[in-house]
Amino acid sequence: MFITIDGKPCECAEGEFVLAAALRNGIDIPRLCHHAALPNQASCRLCLVEIMENGVKHVTASCSYPVSEGIEVVTRSQELQKLRSGVLALLKERAPASPEISALCEKFGVAGDKRFFRDTNERCVMCGLCTAACKLLGASAISAAFRGVDKKISTPFGEMSPACIGCGACARVCPCGAIPLTESGGAREIWGKSFELVRCPACGKPFATREELAFLAKKFALPPEFKGLCRECQRKETVKKMPELRNAIAAYPSGSAK
Amino acid sequence: MPAKSVYICCDTGCTAAGGGLLASAFAAKLKNSGAACDLAPAAKRTGCHGLCEFGPVVRVEPENISYYQVRPEDVDEIYEKTIAGDEVIERLLYKDPFGKQFKTAAENPFYIPQVKIALRNVGEIDPLDMEEAVARGVYQALAKALEMPPEDIVDEMEASGLRGRGGAGFPTGKKWRYCAASKSDIKYVVCNCDEGDPGAFMDRSILEGDPHSVLEGIAIAAKAVGARQGFIYVRDEYEGAVRHAAAAIAAAQARGVLGRNILGSDMDFDIKVIRGGGAFVCGEETALINSIEGRTGEPRVKPPYPASSGLWGKPTLINNVETFANVAAILHSGAQKFREIGTRNSPGTKVFCLVGKIRRTGLIEVPMGITLRRIVYDIGGGMMNSRPFKAIQTGGPSGGCIPEALLDIEVDFDSLAEAGGMMGSGGMIVMDSCTCMVEFAQYYVKFLSGESCGKCTPCREGLRKLDAILTDIREGKGRLSDIDLMEDICQTMRKASLCGLGKSAPNPVLTALRHFRAEYVEHVEEKYCRAGVCPSLSAFHINFDACTGCSVCARNCPAAAIEGVKKKPHQINQSKCVQCGACRDVCQFNAVTAGRR
Ligand SMILES: Cc1cc2nc3c(=O)[nH]c(=O)nc-3n(C[C@H](O)[C@H](O)[C@H](O)COP(=O)(O)O)c2cc1C
Ligand code: SF4
Ligand code: SF4
Ligand code: FES
Repeated sequence: MFITIDGKPCECAEGEFVLAAALRNGIDIPRLCHHAALPNQASCRLCLVEIMENGVKHVTASCSYPVSEGIEVVTRSQELQKLRSGVLALLKERAPASPEISALCEKFGVAGDKRFFRDTNERCVMCGLCTAACKLLGASAISAAFRGVDKKISTPFGEMSPACIGCGACARVCPCGAIPLTESGGAREIWGKSFELVRCPACGKPFATREELAFLAKKFALPPEFKGLCRECQRKETVKKMPELRNAIAAYPSGSAK
Repeated sequence: MPAKSVYICCDTGCTAAGGGLLASAFAAKLKNSGAACDLAPAAKRTGCHGLCEFGPVVRVEPENISYYQVRPEDVDEIYEKTIAGDEVIERLLYKDPFGKQFKTAAENPFYIPQVKIALRNVGEIDPLDMEEAVARGVYQALAKALEMPPEDIVDEMEASGLRGRGGAGFPTGKKWRYCAASKSDIKYVVCNCDEGDPGAFMDRSILEGDPHSVLEGIAIAAKAVGARQGFIYVRDEYEGAVRHAAAAIAAAQARGVLGRNILGSDMDFDIKVIRGGGAFVCGEETALINSIEGRTGEPRVKPPYPASSGLWGKPTLINNVETFANVAAILHSGAQKFREIGTRNSPGTKVFCLVGKIRRTGLIEVPMGITLRRIVYDIGGGMMNSRPFKAIQTGGPSGGCIPEALLDIEVDFDSLAEAGGMMGSGGMIVMDSCTCMVEFAQYYVKFLSGESCGKCTPCREGLRKLDAILTDIREGKGRLSDIDLMEDICQTMRKASLCGLGKSAPNPVLTALRHFRAEYVEHVEEKYCRAGVCPSLSAFHINFDACTGCSVCARNCPAAAIEGVKKKPHQINQSKCVQCGACRDVCQFNAVTAGRR
């Protein structure tokens, strides 16, 4: 199916979202709460575009708007610029301490008004990616608590979460650096909980928490001798196995790769 | 002697005023003397009669005599005079503010302009007695629908022009057609009775007073779209509605109207009551779906729309209680008959909860196209006290305020939207000159700040910012540029929010700015709140010439701020005054007025 984005015809697949189609075609749209590996949050509302559909124009978030034949997408217009600036100002006033938000504001020439700063130390914009990552992983140690203007990300009752395995996925997907994760002396601290770090059996660098490895072993029913590897050593291992993998792929009967 | 019956309103409002006790007293009285007199049936506990303000309401048939604010002590007298005899007890009749009494509801100006379709059985039947509903024709339209091809039912709905009564006024027939066209072996029908708007109780009154008509509407919809399971989502605070809906479902199952092969047809259909936690946002259809599925009550992105992918990913038809209550009536009498009432683009009637500073408040059903002025002055009896009308709020937190100059617009979906208001689900709040339109806007902004799900930036942060600005204006720290700034924030919220809550949240602010901008400017430039509501910008004063020294204000002042000797003009000690306005409300001589500080 074909749609046009900023006048450019783009081929897309049924079920694809406008943002993904745009990115694939080299058209950038500002965004915060989109992560290719996680479900759409559609919460930041930065990725707004104009869509002309059946003769009606409407503004919507591109990250979560499914493509359909013949729609015309506009990613840049005066109106969009105004709306985006409005949203950015709100984000800045929400999370004045986030360098990432400040950088975006600078890029789009938005200042935000100190008078409306909610908390000068705040970095979180409530995009929801952290909880989505934690949920996808299967730990569900954190979630959004309260509603309305008081909504925040929290462990249950703001206490140390027994479900937290200290993997740090939340901190890694956070677009605003809002989740403090510190490592020192062979320990990792996150969400008010301290985790002992296990050393990589290959290189000896501390790389994962004991709870994280146990969680993985259980989730994927790994053998008891599973020790894991740090990211670096994992990559080396994969490279070593390349020829083997290549042969395996070559041997795969064609046509059955679905 | 002709058989007489007594209808005692036992809807939540009248029950709170003692309707339940009254009904028991009547039942006991009639039982004890029942054999001697030819009384049938005995006392009937019904749904809402509308004038809840003067409850408990008792009606004696066939004379159609309505008594108000009846106490258990009055039962003997009503029995002797009106039931055993043919005498009217004037003391218990409704008396308008000018002393005129009305024997029957039909003569009462509160009821004269009303037309009842959705409320056709409410107040007429005992909602817990299915036989009574059946006797009034409930389930006849369902029997007819079961014989019709589904497309014909959809055609009839479309021809009727019925628009969703849940707020947005989406054409019901069109929605049914979408859902009917969605291909799936499993489909659901959901009845939305979340009703979270402050001051609204239409949907509760319908479900509580006539549950079988709602069930009938849901079953007809199920036949039209091909669903086999229905849900009624009711907020848990609606104890009566939950109980009556559940009882009606059980009775309908026992009679074969729900369950397998309903009414002997080849269709299976059942309904379940789901009790919601009472969040305003859960009235939004996709948040409601999440709530039924046991997830956080946050809206989902649309598309996909529920009609193609809703509950558990299956096509789901969601309509409001009042919409469903209209369905059977339409199918029963035909689309053309329905179109004879109301306006071209909004046929039929609308149920409203009329509240505020008027003489008669309550539950009303009026034909679309009636003017706001008739609602306020004819049905509502005009303004309470002697204060002038200022604005009427329609549509709850998603709606807006409409000023005096627009009172002659004809109420329908389009005209209210044009005035910046909204039909909404049907709350109507009449405000007088003691309402500050800055505080008015802030009330809704604060309500929504707590009721928004908080997921998306424009709604969550926009509301917070609006609240901050409104606080500044009310405290005398506002700037003129804040007014434009608020308009900008509102535009961002309206266009960029994820769901209808955030998109419509600016309406109270925008309409207040559109119709009462001068009042905002006055707050900012002159640091003056003429309504006497913003404590930093106003003060109450006692007018020496008007004060008779009756002392009633002093007795009602919670801060003991009013000084003076009896029969001599009183005075407010400004350093003690907390500006609650109690003195102004109680003064019979309008001697207390708001002024500058
Ligand atoms: C914030 C919000 C609250 C809503 N609350 C209700 C409600 O309490 N009852 C209702 O029937 N519809 C409510 N709606 C509208 C529903 O989303 C939906 O449109 C409606 O139930 C459809 O029924 P109708 O077509 O019969 O009106 C609400 C919408 C929004 C955005
Ligand atoms: S902590 Fe980061 S990832 Fe989580 S909601 Fe806040 S900004 Fe998003
Ligand atoms: S508009 Fe408001 S209620 Fe709707 S998704 Fe956004 S935050 Fe939630
Ligand atoms: S990236 Fe689309 S709403 Fe955040």
